[in-house]
Amino acid sequence: MTRFAMVIDLNTCVGCNACMAACAMENQTPVWKNKWRTYVHDKEIGSGEDVHRRFFPRLCNHCDNPPCLSVCPTGATYKLDNGIVKVDEALCMGCRACAMACPYDARLEVTHDDVETGRDFYGEAYRRSRPSMDKCTFCDHRLEQGLQPACVETCVGSARQFGDLDDPNDPVAQMVARGVARPLMPHLGTRPNVYYIDDLKRRG
Amino acid sequence: MDVTMSYTTQEIWTWWIAVYLYLGGLGAATLVVTFLTDMYLKNHRALVLWGAFSGIAMLSVGSLMLFIHLLDPRAVLHVINPLVLFRQPHSWIAWGTQFIIWMMWWGLFYALPYLVQSERARKLPLLGAVLRLKVMNRLSNRCCLRFHKTIGWLATINGIGVAVYTGLLLQSFPAVALWHNPGVPLLFTVSAFSTALAYLLLLLNLVIKHEDDYYLKVFYERTDTMLIAAELVILFSFFHYMAAGNESAFRSAQLLWQDMGWLIGFIGLGLIVPFLLELKGVIKGWTGRLPIVTASVLVLAGGYLLRHYFMYAGVYAHPW
Repeated sequence: MTRFAMVIDLNTCVGCNACMAACAMENQTPVWKNKWRTYVHDKEIGSGEDVHRRFFPRLCNHCDNPPCLSVCPTGATYKLDNGIVKVDEALCMGCRACAMACPYDARLEVTHDDVETGRDFYGEAYRRSRPSMDKCTFCDHRLEQGLQPACVETCVGSARQFGDLDDPNDPVAQMVARGVARPLMPHLGTRPNVYYIDDLKRRG
Repeated sequence: MDVTMSYTTQEIWTWWIAVYLYLGGLGAATLVVTFLTDMYLKNHRALVLWGAFSGIAMLSVGSLMLFIHLLDPRAVLHVINPLVLFRQPHSWIAWGTQFIIWMMWWGLFYALPYLVQSERARKLPLLGAVLRLKVMNRLSNRCCLRFHKTIGWLATINGIGVAVYTGLLLQSFPAVALWHNPGVPLLFTVSAFSTALAYLLLLLNLVIKHEDDYYLKVFYERTDTMLIAAELVILFSFFHYMAAGNESAFRSAQLLWQDMGWLIGFIGLGLIVPFLLELKGVIKGWTGRLPIVTASVLVLAGGYLLRHYFMYAGVYAHPW
C-alpha cells in the first residue's frame, strides 16, 4: 500500500515562491484574490541583531484523521486509499465547515466570481465548472502519470521532498521514521502527512 | 518550531452563523417547551400556535442565513436528503439539518389540529382556504390528533437534537480550544432553553395575556431562573478552563474578558440583571409585568451575544 507524504526542509527554503506559482498554474487557483493551495509565509524571528528570516511553506497536511472530512455535511471531502484528501466539487455546497475545522488553514473558497474570472484568466484549459471549497491534492493527476507534485518538482532548494511512508527505502519515510522531520501540532490528533525539518536548531 | 506560533481569529463564520446558531437553538427550544407544556402541564391552543409557528419561522430564518452564504446553494440537496446520515454519520451539520427539517414537519403536524379549529385562522384569505379543505380535516383528525403525543415527542426529540447540535457543531473544530470542548454543547443547550422560556414569557405577558396562565408564567420564570444560574456556573468553569488552558484558550479568554460587550452586555445585562429580576419575582413576586418583560428581553439579547462573541473569540494557533 502506498501512503503519500511530504517533507519540507525549512533550512533550504529560500522563499522564492516558485512552489506557489507552479501550484497555481497547475491547479488553476484564484490567484487574483490571493488564494493559494500552498503558501509561503515570510517571518522574522529573533530580536536586535540576532534576527533571521524564516520562510514557512504550508499546504494541506492530508491528515490520516482529517477534521475537514468528518465535519463535511455532504461527503464532498473524501480520502483516497493512498492518503490523499480530496474534494468532489459537484457535492460541495460551500458551507466552509472544512475551513473552520482545518488547523492548517489549508482550505480556500472558489466563488461563482472566481469561476467566471478563471475562464478568462486560464483560458480554454480552465477545468472548474462550479464553485466549491478547494484544497491541495498533492497533484494526484500528476502522480498518476509518475510525476512529482508541481511544487516539489519546481522547488529550487529541494526544500520539498515527496515520497511513500510505506516504503522503508524511501528517503521521506526514513526522515519521518528517524524523527528528523516532524508533523505540525500532532497533539490535535489530526495525524498529518506533511512533515517539517526544523531550521532553528541548526541556526543555534 | 513551536516558538514561532502565531495566533489569529477567523473571518469565515461570523455574525450570520451566530444568527443561525441563535435562532436554531431558540426556535427549537421554543417548540420543545411549547409542546411539553401542552402535553403535560396545560392544554394551551394559543401557546402551541404562537410557539410552533414562531419557532418554525425562527428556524427558517436561521437556516436561510446559512443557505444564502453557501458557495453553491444547488448542492444543498445533498444534505437535505436523509440518506446523507448513512454517508456522513460523523458530520454534525448533516445531523443538524435533518433535526431541523423533521422538527419543522413534526411541529407543523402537532399544531395542525389547533390551526384547523382556529376560527381566526380559517378566516384568513389564503391559509383559511387551505385549512377548510377536507383533506386538511382528515389529516388533522385521523393522523395528527390520533397520534398527537407521538408527534409531540418526535418534535421534542428533534428539537432537543437541534439545540444540542448548535453546540456540537462548534465542538467539532479541533483547532480552537474555546470551541473544542464538551462545555460548548452544554452551554448552548442551556442558553437555548433559557432564551426559549424568555420568549414564551414575552408571548404570555404581551400577546396571549390569559388570566389563568399565572401558574404557567411562574413555572417558566422559576425554570428560567435556574437555567440562567446554570449558565453562570458553566461560564465560570469556562473562565477557569480558559485561563489555565492552552494558549488558544488563554487568548480567547483575553479577548472575551477584556471586552465590555461580553462583560457588561452578555454577563451583566444578559445574565445577571435578568437573573436578579426573575429571582425577585420568584421570591417576592412583582406587581406588574414590566420587570419580567424586561428580564425576558435581556435574556433574548444575551442569548445572541453569547453566540456572537463565541464566533469572534475562537483563536487558531498557527505554527508559522
